[in-house]
Amino acid sequence: MEPVKRQIICIGNRLVPEDAAGPAVFDRLGELQPLADGIELSEGGLAGLNLLPLLEQGGRVVFVDAVRGFTRPGELVVLDQRQIVASLDDRHFGHGAGLAYVLAVLPEVCDGEPPEEIVLVGLEGACSGPLIERAAGLSLVLAAHGLQGCS
Amino acid sequence: MKTLRDINIPFNRAEGDLEIRVDVEDGIVSDAWSVGTMFRGFEEMMHGRGALDGLVVTPRICGICSLTHLTAAVEALDDVAGSSPPDNARRLRNLALMVETIQSDLRQAVLMFMVDFANQEAYQDHPLGEQAQQRYSPLQGRAAIEVIRESKRLLQMVAIIGGQWPHTSFMVPGGVTSMPERSKLLQCGIILERFRGWYERSILGCSLERWLEVQSSRDLDGWLDEDPCHRESELGFFIRFARQAGLDTLGRGPNRFLSYGNFTLPQETGVQGVGGRLMAPGFAVGTEVSSFTASKISEDLSHSWYQQGDGPAHPFAGRTRPYASGQGGRSYSWIKAPRYGGEVVETGPLAEMVMAGNPLFKDLLAQAGPNVLVRELARLVRPAHFLEPMAIWVDELLHRRQEDFYHAVKSIPDGEGVGMIQAARGALGHWLRIRDGKIGHYQIITPTAWNGSPRDGAGQRGPWEEALIGTPIKDLNNPVEAGHVVRSFDPCLVCAVHCLSRPKGPPLRGWSR
Repeated sequence: MEPVKRQIICIGNRLVPEDAAGPAVFDRLGELQPLADGIELSEGGLAGLNLLPLLEQGGRVVFVDAVRGFTRPGELVVLDQRQIVASLDDRHFGHGAGLAYVLAVLPEVCDGEPPEEIVLVGLEGACSGPLIERAAGLSLVLAAHGLQGCS
Repeated sequence: MKTLRDINIPFNRAEGDLEIRVDVEDGIVSDAWSVGTMFRGFEEMMHGRGALDGLVVTPRICGICSLTHLTAAVEALDDVAGSSPPDNARRLRNLALMVETIQSDLRQAVLMFMVDFANQEAYQDHPLGEQAQQRYSPLQGRAAIEVIRESKRLLQMVAIIGGQWPHTSFMVPGGVTSMPERSKLLQCGIILERFRGWYERSILGCSLERWLEVQSSRDLDGWLDEDPCHRESELGFFIRFARQAGLDTLGRGPNRFLSYGNFTLPQETGVQGVGGRLMAPGFAVGTEVSSFTASKISEDLSHSWYQQGDGPAHPFAGRTRPYASGQGGRSYSWIKAPRYGGEVVETGPLAEMVMAGNPLFKDLLAQAGPNVLVRELARLVRPAHFLEPMAIWVDELLHRRQEDFYHAVKSIPDGEGVGMIQAARGALGHWLRIRDGKIGHYQIITPTAWNGSPRDGAGQRGPWEEALIGTPIKDLNNPVEAGHVVRSFDPCLVCAVHCLSRPKGPPLRGWSR
């Protein structure tokens, strides 16, 4: 039996401080390569819709990104797929179309097998070293065990 | 006469970094200001870095056309190094850039432009309004979903050519980093053939060959009447809807065009071009084309929030030093004002059609001048001019796989270089100077800097500022007409912060840690 595919995809823009949380976690996880349990690590950057090919291979996908307005600055938040899509407040496509848009359109355009579970580790506010460390650790746990395994 | 001043048009999806302000008199736009609200500063960021760093940093300027910036960056380095990539590298670079351009064109046309045809309040009385809903409604319109799916499939070619996805960096001075396996090239051919089939069936409603026979406005009318498949295709529907909405009367602009030319041809290839490139460079007044002279490019800072110099400067002499005060309120944008020989110019697919002497577009421009319909039409049919050369290059790669894909470039010497290409949105240039092995100067002029520029020292408005003049606005709360004008230029003011934000309304509970 094939092992379940597990991915961590860190998104954001490392050149814009307010959006650099994902790449910062990517760099931290990169220091830990190879990751346990065969977890694959990708820097999703600003790819937006172009991340869709990474979401056609089943398994579990953990996104890591900056968030705004979900919790207190300096905290982490975990959202499931339904909650991420629910955050989409503009259904129009734009150059800034982010994760919520990608996941909203995924069922309509997926050519392969959509992930069984998608979660987001969101970093709120300025990213301190300890917050990045916590986000990296949490994303590894979520990728390995999923939300059920962490609750 | 009722005059409303300084109205901020809500460009809710024209990239958070763009604002359009207009004055409206008796329901007609009488003046306009294009405001870039974000300082990019990539140029300053490059100073002192290693000579090759532009290959990694500048693609991060834009998530939509990152590969395009990679192409301009590597062309600039090739220029400094005096390197000449082998034919196979040319084929692979051109193929990747064409893929990115095609996906951008179709996503822009359907998801960002024609989606406004589904604006119920604006078009509830339009005879094709209901059909537009079915085709273009966000996240559910048939065409909207198809375009996302098919452009995603086409982009697999870039993943194959680049060997990495996303953020491929396969272009290097002297060529490319690797040659795809034969099986992967065969896969590229299949992807391309499949995409072509969909483009012909859904977008054109006819074969590429039949579309390219349309060479005049009369031909276009004949094509529309010839077959229900033509009328019902996205192209046919676009033309019919746009004509009835009067989009051929909006958005004239400066009637000056600029293209840097694009796609350097391999030395041995079956693809025909002009002067060693598939697309010729040029400057045009109306459809009168003259030769392109790179030294005529300058950047005017008089209305931009930058430290002022001694007047407009060539990109090799210009600087990007933010200075947002002390100019008496004259400055209003973070975009500079590029000019060609002091002239305001439009760039993009329509400019490319003009430089190519395309008879259909020459005729359309002769009859009605530049307008929203003809500008967007050029974007929608541009892929028809790419798909055949792409098929030829894939085939040539298969037959010449054993030939070089890289000519060794051991180091980047001190000197100057420029990479000038056509991005999806128009003329893109990277100007680079290497000093003591490091980047001493880097200037970038993007297509949107040309099209969305503010006024210059002579008081000339930028292209879409000018195009907005005379635009009727029926409903100031739903200014779809102004949106059509600006979006016909395909604005892109840099992907900035786009993190997930909590929507308005009741709290959305996550699992706080």
